[in-house]
Amino acid sequence: MESKNTPAVDGQPHATPKGHLHPMSVAMRDIAAIFGNQGFGIAYGPELEDEFHNFDALRVAGDHPARDMQDTFWTQEKPPRVPRTHCTSVTVRELERMAKEGLTELRMINPGKVFRNEATDATHEAQFYQLDGFAVGPVGTVTLAHLKGVWTRFYQEYIGPNAKIRFRPSYFPFTEPSVEVDLWFEAPGKEGRWLEMFGAGMLHPGVLENAGLDPKKVAGFAWGGGLERLIMVKYGVPDVRFFHNGDIRFVYAFDEKQI
Amino acid sequence: MKVSRAWLQNYFATELPDGQILADAFTFHSFEVEEQTGNLLDLKVLPDRAGYALSHRGVAYELAAALDVPMKKDPLRETLPNWPQSNMLSVEVEDPKKCLRYIGAVVRGVTVGSSPTWLKEALESVGQRSINNVVDATNYVMLNIGQPLHAFDASKLVQKNEIYTIGVQEVEEHKVSDKKTGIPFTALGGEDGYLLPEGTLVITDKNNGDKILGVAGIKGGVVAEVTPHTTDLIIEAANFEGTSVRRTAQRLKLFTDASARFQNRPSPELAAYGMRDVLALIQQVAGGEVEGVVDIYPNPTQNLPVSVTTQKVNELLGSSFSSDEIGTAFKRLSLSTKISNDTFTVTPPFERIDLLIPEDLIEEVGRILGYDRLPPAQLPPLAGTPDQARFRGIERMKDQLVEQGFTEVSTQSFAKKGDIVLANPLDTKRPALRISLQENLDEALAQAQHYALLVLPPGEKPKLFEVGSVFPKEGEHVELRMTEAPKAWGKDFPTFDNLSKANMEEYGNGYEPKHYTLAPFKPFSLYPYIVRDVALWVPQGTEPVKVLNLIRGEAGELCIKISLFDKFEKAAKDGVPAKTSLAFRLIFQSFERTLTDDDANTAMEKAYAKLKSEGFEIR
Repeated sequence: MESKNTPAVDGQPHATPKGHLHPMSVAMRDIAAIFGNQGFGIAYGPELEDEFHNFDALRVAGDHPARDMQDTFWTQEKPPRVPRTHCTSVTVRELERMAKEGLTELRMINPGKVFRNEATDATHEAQFYQLDGFAVGPVGTVTLAHLKGVWTRFYQEYIGPNAKIRFRPSYFPFTEPSVEVDLWFEAPGKEGRWLEMFGAGMLHPGVLENAGLDPKKVAGFAWGGGLERLIMVKYGVPDVRFFHNGDIRFVYAFDEKQI
Repeated sequence: MKVSRAWLQNYFATELPDGQILADAFTFHSFEVEEQTGNLLDLKVLPDRAGYALSHRGVAYELAAALDVPMKKDPLRETLPNWPQSNMLSVEVEDPKKCLRYIGAVVRGVTVGSSPTWLKEALESVGQRSINNVVDATNYVMLNIGQPLHAFDASKLVQKNEIYTIGVQEVEEHKVSDKKTGIPFTALGGEDGYLLPEGTLVITDKNNGDKILGVAGIKGGVVAEVTPHTTDLIIEAANFEGTSVRRTAQRLKLFTDASARFQNRPSPELAAYGMRDVLALIQQVAGGEVEGVVDIYPNPTQNLPVSVTTQKVNELLGSSFSSDEIGTAFKRLSLSTKISNDTFTVTPPFERIDLLIPEDLIEEVGRILGYDRLPPAQLPPLAGTPDQARFRGIERMKDQLVEQGFTEVSTQSFAKKGDIVLANPLDTKRPALRISLQENLDEALAQAQHYALLVLPPGEKPKLFEVGSVFPKEGEHVELRMTEAPKAWGKDFPTFDNLSKANMEEYGNGYEPKHYTLAPFKPFSLYPYIVRDVALWVPQGTEPVKVLNLIRGEAGELCIKISLFDKFEKAAKDGVPAKTSLAFRLIFQSFERTLTDDDANTAMEKAYAKLKSEGFEIR
């Protein structure tokens, strides 16, 4: 008599019949938790944005180079819309909500997909995710020093206790002052080095006004940077194009353990 | 912008530190350093500072502030000469909004030849080629103080009543025979093939039927090129409106040092300093005499004072800078400042067109005193719980699906067909925004079925899901789509859901998504794989893992995965003892090449031999 058994031995560690989360989801849960502990909610907005929220409200004027066809996708609609070029558009929408609801403080992270009309390579994709965010409060309560504190804490919890950050002067039309934020990263078995991670700054008073807030009363910081980049640094992923090509080999390229 | 340390040194009495220290000074106080090789630095000057800092003078100014070492001279603070009005040149500007200022000068009796060594070396030190003494003089002054300049050979223009007439005007419609093309234009250096469409701002010879001499603010034409025979020059120091220059440069795909500067809107005041310096330098290196100058500047600009208080500085930065320190920062930047109590009123010099509001001044204080002086501060706790309910609702859906054996994928938002089409798609095969995740998910599933053997346990069929935005004409929403209905939810359960309609906030309220630790990324090969199966009889009770390890020992490094995919028992019968059938699947793949059947066969032969030597019977 023959009896069939379920195979019990596998050469690989994935013996579980459970499926797998995309590493981006795994990462976002950790990120959400760390920011949640610092008072940040999570905000969403449309991926297909109008010009006002993607550009004008952020002081990216009608003749600004960022609006050119070679940087931004435009739809054939009339008036045209843009697959958003950053999630700072969500910040604008949240600031508008603050004004409408009469809020004086709010902290949000805005993770989401963004689009750039640019050639792709190992570090550039035409579609990628950004982790944008902001904190706004009564003048004097949310400062550039707080941006440093929030992100130092984030990296120490997410990357490792030796993580530290530094600011370098930069420029964005929607923040003043503007900074680039570098992360001190020690990859296992390698010497530490500074990595350029994201742009940030104090929200420009003109942006607060455009959203209907009074810059004499409230102020705050905002930042925006690639989410894939953060994951690439943490887990040593060499190529950003792995993330959104639907390939399950990438999803299974990280041995996972549920906590 | 490429800058040389030796060139910068001209601005300082004390010796500058080496390239690396300069690079650090720029990095933490002014600009990103794209590259530093010895004493040559390539700086990324961003738009807010590009109006004044795309020049060695501008960079020296920044360096003086960063290092707190004063400049020994500043050409923008030195007086301007009173030029005689030219009797030989007239300038007609069609639209003063497109050409904010035009200074023209006539220089007679120059000797065009090669440049002196210092001038050649200076240009070569920043990667520029020496052309002749006159052209080199215009380039040097531009690189030195930031004002683009141009020299025309006057003899190539027509004089009427002994007067040259330069026009600044747009290409007119009737002159462009074919609207799609434009007027042919040959740039300096003989590059031709440019077609100037209607509306292009050009420099013309008004006395010669508006003959085009150059594209305004971008590039001169070969028609009035300065050659070794040139004796009389018309020099241009102008200010063309930034957007117009940028658009034209893009349309023509002609990006020059001049266009890079004009598109950042330097002050029109700068043009006079450029003219002063270039006339002096031409006379120094090529001789000649200045006949006179014409200056068309209908609307002079003036910077307005900006005020900030010590309190406001510290409120925005979170710093505890004293009024004295703030005053020092402005002093290091040579900003003329009136101080009363703790209020600083700065009247920016003409070139600092970027200082408009108090926050601009606060940035100056922050970057000069150093952002390293900001202490990392913790935000105070907020009342209530931060709102992450929608996120948690969506993640809860994902957790449910993962429990059911589904794997999450992420795909591209552009599709072959859709209701909303891009005006400028990157991939013309996918010009639309997806209306559903189905098409991508089908493709991902086909791929996954092919790769399942590599990543899934034997016998498992891939089941996929994606959560992503879709763009049907009814409006954008977030879709969840699965490649099949989850068994536990019943087979009539739909394979998609509109998560923008479903109440994700309520579903996520209070839910804590599962957390995982992930090991570092494990590279996978992008080459094809080969599958081989082996089935064998082993005595009852033989541990499959023991057999697997025997195979692994022989299969070699190209065998990336071995799994048991079948096992059954045959009871003892007619004196034959009970035995067990085991079937293993081997997958071969290389990181370096596409494997051949021979590679797999060789490995299998070795495994067969080993198994036989152990007394197992290959089926």
